[in-house]
Amino acid sequence: MTLLLHNLQPLHWAISGAVIAAVTVALLFIANRRLGVSGGLDDLCSLALSSSYFRRDLVRSSRPWRLPFLGGLVLGGFLSAVLAGGWTPIWSLGRFDTVIGSGPAGKLAWMFVGGLLIGFGTRLANGCTSGHGVFGLANFEWPSLVSTASFMGAGLVTTHLIYRVVFEWGGVR
Amino acid sequence: MTAVYVLLGTIFGFVLSRSGAADYGYVQAMFLLENFQLYGIIGTAVVLTAPGLWWIQRRGRTAFDAPVRVERKVMNRGTIAGGLLFGVGWSMTGMCPGPILVNIGEGKVYALAALAGALVGAGAFGTLYPRLQGLFQLPSLPQPDRPSR
Repeated sequence: MTLLLHNLQPLHWAISGAVIAAVTVALLFIANRRLGVSGGLDDLCSLALSSSYFRRDLVRSSRPWRLPFLGGLVLGGFLSAVLAGGWTPIWSLGRFDTVIGSGPAGKLAWMFVGGLLIGFGTRLANGCTSGHGVFGLANFEWPSLVSTASFMGAGLVTTHLIYRVVFEWGGVR
Repeated sequence: MTAVYVLLGTIFGFVLSRSGAADYGYVQAMFLLENFQLYGIIGTAVVLTAPGLWWIQRRGRTAFDAPVRVERKVMNRGTIAGGLLFGVGWSMTGMCPGPILVNIGEGKVYALAALAGALVGAGAFGTLYPRLQGLFQLPSLPQPDRPSR
């Protein structure tokens, strides 16, 4: 199995996990910040929306570190593509193309709907894979274990429904 | 410090990009239990982060001698409900929030639609918060009208 990006072989999982741990620990040790990406959705929304939820100090005070951090995530992806053999717009989606095979408009609509669930869901759960799954679990926080089990379980069921039930006649397997 | 945040984000983003964590196929393979890669990554990350967090909090001081402050997550009805919704979205897009941004950087065009959706979803949540609060027993917001700094 290879990545969609230039068909690269992925980094070893142990190395990847170790780097993620190093970033998480460094963020707390250097900057006194708790890793969490989905809170950044609040930070971005707070630039445009002014309901009291977005005017909280928690949101305002996290913008100076999290917005640059989010910028870094984009930059990291960009550098990864450049160093792997060049940056170029990518439309391919592997298994999705083979099995579901919608055109560009369908793909964008699918992604938008999935994005809605991610945005609303992570804010309702107050965390995502980073804040609950990495930091929260590593810090032995019960809500993070409950939330992580919920989103892993929902993902497992959804992917099975998509690829093992609804589109089973589509080709793969 | 801004440069430090950009640097940490860049390292994180690069590894998400190269590890499969920001790859649609690896995410589906994880949920189909076909491939161990992403379980290995998150498991390793948690196991190695735990002693680091423990040590920093026991020390009580950051590298710059500031008192360490970690706001712990609180449990409410949103913990499960939100997790379930997020899980469906993660499966559909093959991206959790970090990888949405990483994929945009990589040039994956459809990730822009996922980001748009995520911002609309988060914006709707924040706007509807007063109404969702009772339903999900969410914490009340602090002082609504404070002069901005």
